[in-house]
Amino acid sequence: MALAATLLHNAYFCGRCCRHKALQPLLGPLLSDSLSKSYSSYRRPGSQPEKKTTWQNVDLSFKKSIEVLKTQLGMLKKETEDHLAGPEGQSLTHYMLEQTRVVWEFRSQEDLNKWVISSDVEIGGKSEVYLKLGRNNQTALLYGTLNTEVPRDGETKYSGYCSMRAKPLVGSFARKKYYDWSNFNSLYLRVRGDGRPWMVNIYTDPYFSHQKDDLYNYFMFTRGGPYWEEIKIPFSKFFLSSRGRVQDDQHPIWLDKISTVGFTIGDKVNGPFQLEIDFIGLLNDRAHTEEFAYETYEKNPPL
Amino acid sequence: FILMLSLTLGTMITITSNHWVTAWAGLEINTLAVIPLISKSHHPRAIEAATKYFLTQATASALMLFSSMTNAWSSGQWDITQLTNPPSCLLLTAAIAIKLGLTPFHFWFPEVLQGSSLTTALLLSTAMKFPPTTILLLTSHSLNPTLLSTMAIMSIALGGWMGLNQTQTRKILAFSSISHLGWMTIIITYNPKLTLLTFYLYSLMTTSIFLSMNSTNTLKLSTLMTSWTKAPMLNTTLMLTLLSLAGLPPLTGFLPKWLIIQELTKQEMTTTATTISMLSLLGLFFYLRLTYCSTITLPPNSSNKMKQWSIKKPVNTLTPTL
Repeated sequence: MALAATLLHNAYFCGRCCRHKALQPLLGPLLSDSLSKSYSSYRRPGSQPEKKTTWQNVDLSFKKSIEVLKTQLGMLKKETEDHLAGPEGQSLTHYMLEQTRVVWEFRSQEDLNKWVISSDVEIGGKSEVYLKLGRNNQTALLYGTLNTEVPRDGETKYSGYCSMRAKPLVGSFARKKYYDWSNFNSLYLRVRGDGRPWMVNIYTDPYFSHQKDDLYNYFMFTRGGPYWEEIKIPFSKFFLSSRGRVQDDQHPIWLDKISTVGFTIGDKVNGPFQLEIDFIGLLNDRAHTEEFAYETYEKNPPL
Repeated sequence: FILMLSLTLGTMITITSNHWVTAWAGLEINTLAVIPLISKSHHPRAIEAATKYFLTQATASALMLFSSMTNAWSSGQWDITQLTNPPSCLLLTAAIAIKLGLTPFHFWFPEVLQGSSLTTALLLSTAMKFPPTTILLLTSHSLNPTLLSTMAIMSIALGGWMGLNQTQTRKILAFSSISHLGWMTIIITYNPKLTLLTFYLYSLMTTSIFLSMNSTNTLKLSTLMTSWTKAPMLNTTLMLTLLSLAGLPPLTGFLPKWLIIQELTKQEMTTTATTISMLSLLGLFFYLRLTYCSTITLPPNSSNKMKQWSIKKPVNTLTPTL
């Protein structure tokens, strides 16, 4: 399973550079998109050809910019009010007493728009993945087909992965905002899977770019049954990997600057998959006392 | 151990220097010695903190060297106290502001403190502030008071405002440090002795807070709330120290604020004095919130961090009572 994890992330991050293509139609043309060509000009078989360059997308109409300015100023005002109210926009007593929090739930299309799906189509593979609202608009259904056929470009060895990733929070004037989950110690997922193993990834957006591939992963094993599962994954179990490779120097995840959470499937089994998610939340499990699950002894003891 | 020695050496060189190059050399030794201390834990955040610290301090040192060189070019001597060239004064003010973490050059400070361990954070906010403050003191008669006052007022404002809803204790202490630095710099052109007094008292109070937090390993607000079960005496004294940092009479922290306001009024700067007292109310709010969290309310649950149960070093209950 670790091997599967390694190989799928290997391919996943090679295709991650095309992530902004999925984000672009969903964000406005005037905001963000500072990621211009950070990859070479070789276009992988799965990605669309560049029809319009980034600078051609810029809209210089005055009315629209006033609208955008108004929205941004409104967001800034809301941020100031949140700042005054207390940590994370709630009052201090709320922060002190809260033990559970729902971060993402799927009740409408705009909740779905907060997530981005991707698959190995970016590198030329043939898996398909779709995200839609489930029955009665109560859940999100991530479904598709996994296809491990390797794209024939001479350099890819493995293929077959699909993933869903939350979009990072954007504050006013396109600044990055982070989640502060330091009050909690477990991730709480209410899902209904089909028996396939998934990997949960947490990305803590670092400041400098040499750490941008750092990801904290753990596995989520689903049962196939018609019953809902409530999976609790303590944050102490997440291990660090970078570009898909598990790192030697492990440390527990710091919860005060979380950017996104994602789910990936890549278990080398051809066939359809389905994952229905009700909500993703956080839990402060008082019974969980483990600080970190791996290698807590001192690795280089002083002699 | 050798890093501590280098830190002391660097500080001593800067303090006892009257030539620009030795002052700069001491500052560089300090910077280089503290970088491995920050990145000791090999955590990505620690490395990020170390990188940010290095970049900002290197820029500041370069600016300082540049200002001393332009001064030497125009006046022909390298004496620290004879800073005559006005552009050099401005550049030096900017350089020292970056080194200390005054607004608008404060952006590195909370992140760097957050990435380092509690003891290193203590060193960064007290010991590393000492050499740049000394240089400011030596050159205070020739620096532009308007610029310094503006930066100081902005620091007090920003330190109070940004500290309002932080949940990480190190970031809170970073903002308190920025705000205290504001208090220190506002009076430096009029009465440098008050700056020194503020600095000493501030270092003493911050040291006791950091050491108390180190014994209970509180890195975030929720841990602070549950520390009353571990060491109740420490908790009470921590509350007193925090209020002292806030500047409430009759605790020690009120003394520098009172003297500074008195001095400013003597200099006919009553509006400035009123502004900074009002702005430090913001700081008072979050200090009060910290004490509220830690001591005044007793949260119904205790923390389940195993580390908290082992007291790492003997608890210092004496210093906060000062």
